[in-house]
Amino acid sequence: MKQLMDWTVRENKLLQEKIFHTIVEPGLNLYVLPKKGYNKKYAIFSTRFGSIDNVFRVLGKDGEEKIVVPDGVAHFLEHKLFDDEEGNVFDRFAVYGASTNAFTSFTHTTYLFSCTDFFPENFELLLEFVQNPYFTDESVAKEQGIIQQEIRMYEDNPQWRVYFNLLSILYQHHPVRNDIAGTIESIGKITKEILYKCYETFYHPRNMAVFVTGDVSPEDVGAQVAGSLARRSHAPLYGIERIYPQEQAVVLEQKIVQELSVSLPLVNIGFKDPYNYLEGRELLYRELAAELLLEMIFSKSEPLYNSLYEDGLIDEKFSASYVGEVTYGYSLLGGETRDPDALHARIMEGIEEVRKKGLSRDAFFRHRSKMQGEFLRSFNSLEFIANNYLAYRFKGIDFFDIFNTLGEISLSSVEELLEEHFQEKLHAISIIKPVQR
Amino acid sequence: MQVEKKTIPGGIDVYVIPTTKFKTVLVTVLLRQLLSKETASKTALLPSVMERGSKDYPTYRDLMIRLEELYGAGFSSDVLKMGEKQVLSFSFEVINDQYAPGKDLLRQATEVLHSVLHRPLLENGGFKREYVEQEKEQLAKEIKGLINDKVNYALERCIQEMCKEEPFGVYKYGSLDELDQITPETLYAYYSQLFAENPLDVYIVGAIEPELAFALAEELFARSNGQRRRNLPPDQVHKIPGEVHYYKEKLPVNQGKLTLGYRTNTAYRDDDYVSLLFYNGVLGGFPHSKLFQNVREKASLAYYAFSRLEKHKGIQLIGSGIEMKNYERALEIITEQVELLKKGVVSRDEMENTRRGLINHFKLIADSPYNMLALSLDGLLGEKQVGLDYYLRRLEEIKVDDVVATAHKVYLDTVYFLCAEGEVKA
Repeated sequence: MKQLMDWTVRENKLLQEKIFHTIVEPGLNLYVLPKKGYNKKYAIFSTRFGSIDNVFRVLGKDGEEKIVVPDGVAHFLEHKLFDDEEGNVFDRFAVYGASTNAFTSFTHTTYLFSCTDFFPENFELLLEFVQNPYFTDESVAKEQGIIQQEIRMYEDNPQWRVYFNLLSILYQHHPVRNDIAGTIESIGKITKEILYKCYETFYHPRNMAVFVTGDVSPEDVGAQVAGSLARRSHAPLYGIERIYPQEQAVVLEQKIVQELSVSLPLVNIGFKDPYNYLEGRELLYRELAAELLLEMIFSKSEPLYNSLYEDGLIDEKFSASYVGEVTYGYSLLGGETRDPDALHARIMEGIEEVRKKGLSRDAFFRHRSKMQGEFLRSFNSLEFIANNYLAYRFKGIDFFDIFNTLGEISLSSVEELLEEHFQEKLHAISIIKPVQR
Repeated sequence: MQVEKKTIPGGIDVYVIPTTKFKTVLVTVLLRQLLSKETASKTALLPSVMERGSKDYPTYRDLMIRLEELYGAGFSSDVLKMGEKQVLSFSFEVINDQYAPGKDLLRQATEVLHSVLHRPLLENGGFKREYVEQEKEQLAKEIKGLINDKVNYALERCIQEMCKEEPFGVYKYGSLDELDQITPETLYAYYSQLFAENPLDVYIVGAIEPELAFALAEELFARSNGQRRRNLPPDQVHKIPGEVHYYKEKLPVNQGKLTLGYRTNTAYRDDDYVSLLFYNGVLGGFPHSKLFQNVREKASLAYYAFSRLEKHKGIQLIGSGIEMKNYERALEIITEQVELLKKGVVSRDEMENTRRGLINHFKLIADSPYNMLALSLDGLLGEKQVGLDYYLRRLEEIKVDDVVATAHKVYLDTVYFLCAEGEVKA
């Protein structure tokens, strides 16, 4: 008998989009955003399990012992799910012309495919392979070779290195200071038992969500998900306690320098936001206010950017952004520069100058409406919508709320942030210098 | 996808792709020039100098503020290398009227674009000196900065070695030597000539009536009729290399980067280009392809192993990142896969999966204004204006024999290996 599902529908009049939500037994959140007229169908299956989740306790189980796993497990697991008894999952998607992939971030792991035809067949494959772990000693060893080369590739990537080096000194203890893929040493410690343990814990439907967008019907998608989940038995999951070390409102070190074969130095400057826990609306408000603040100081329409550019200290790829996650947050500035120390000094002076002069009301409104316009424009991309929707969902935020929340941000809250955010003791600088040969 | 075309005074073609699917309207102006070592840097330098200041927006800040006022309109200029051509692209993307009623953002943005293109800020018969000097500095950094991305560096270096006697060997930003010679006056003279004589096309994609779009384009972009060329000479595609050239370059790197450059003797403009797409797909375009399966999945030698086409020039590159000590083994596995294709060792699955994958790829084009534009641009460069329907039909027709026939036109030209000091046996 076909079961009628209970859908909640949220319509956003301004975006002219409708999103359907339901919870599928035993607790999976399913979202569908129909996009008429698109050939592409895009689906993602995400778990709230990222590189930072390496110490945890499974609630409601005997002992509830604390479990510590090697760095890089979430990413390793992501790779391994693409293999099972019958071989490689890529091949099966290829039969239906879909392209499939996955990515692991600090906070979650996402499996995805996009296709134009055979949506139900492809969707079934996605649901199946993510729910079907198959690890052997041999396949774990094989993957170690591949991931070693992935790590090596990033070791030669200056953009990547300058960023991870920064996080390694901005944080004293928090696992965000470790590379997502782990190290060649840490992945050597990964065994199939560890993978199964993490899988059972974090790949429980209650810790996961599915998002589908394209020209699809929510009812059909819902029925398919319900059918797939019903075929498996899941032990109840009472909860996962993720254990993160307490961070103090200081950085580990203020400066880190590495040499690589680059033509020009690269710089990342970070300002740590000293909260230990924020979620939902409060987190969204903070994130948007911080982004607005960075816009107002560093964007291409502001004097600081233009004077740094004219003096040859930055190029057009210079960027400033804010990252706000539940257990950590920071601002990140940087790019290529001929003189890292001069750029650093000028940025600190520039911030000080804005502080003295204050923020202009006109500029505030202009930047705010620009951010709203950019948000709207981004809705052309199905991937953007789906990936962000779940990433924000895991932070307790409705992605659709961004537009309106932006409208609620007040100049005074941005001014407050200007006073508190750029503290000397909360900032660090990471530099990649050209190798001296 | 429906494409309407009209030629406006000045020999400029305006293409309109009307669709209500997107939240934005995209306006792009494309200018084509031959790639050559005498002009590549001048061409590449133009967009950044033009962006820095026009008569109406004399500083970059003025332009950026104007964009913000237009609800955060997206503006980008770029220089692309497509075969032996450089393409300058100036794009605007604004929210369409449905989401910002009564603002007429499209018209306002197109006016800004017009200002950047046709009302440059001048002094003493040239572009503003200060801007030219600063942008030369920036472009020099860009040229030197190629080395920063090792994956790309290894591909580009292979092309440079392989095509050192051909225009295709010129880097898309040109060279420091050429850049050094540029003055505000020579650059302005070059700009004037380029915009008067070279092929210029305008694209508008989004929710707009073609007639309105043509009228807007004509009002702002029409020029006096002169001697504009409608096309540039085609790329040099055919070459049967003699013996294979091997290059090793040493840099302090952690991972070796192997690149193989092939002459396919087939280009976008050719009838059997679709067979070449298949050939590339079976070999290394997808995760189901021979390279990914054999170099990565079976031998566990690499994280990435792919092949890709320089479609207008008819060159295929294979790239893979490996441990230095595995150079011989990786090279052997890769060349073996190419031989297998020549011998027709292609499974039904490899054929059909590639077919579906390519069909999927082409159907997706209709979902992005930028991809529609890219397809049209390929048509301009290859002088082969075919739509999605053409590809979808041709992809259904290709058989293994076609792929094998294409494989027999493919020759290895150059093997390039980027590696660290002293770790490789030559």
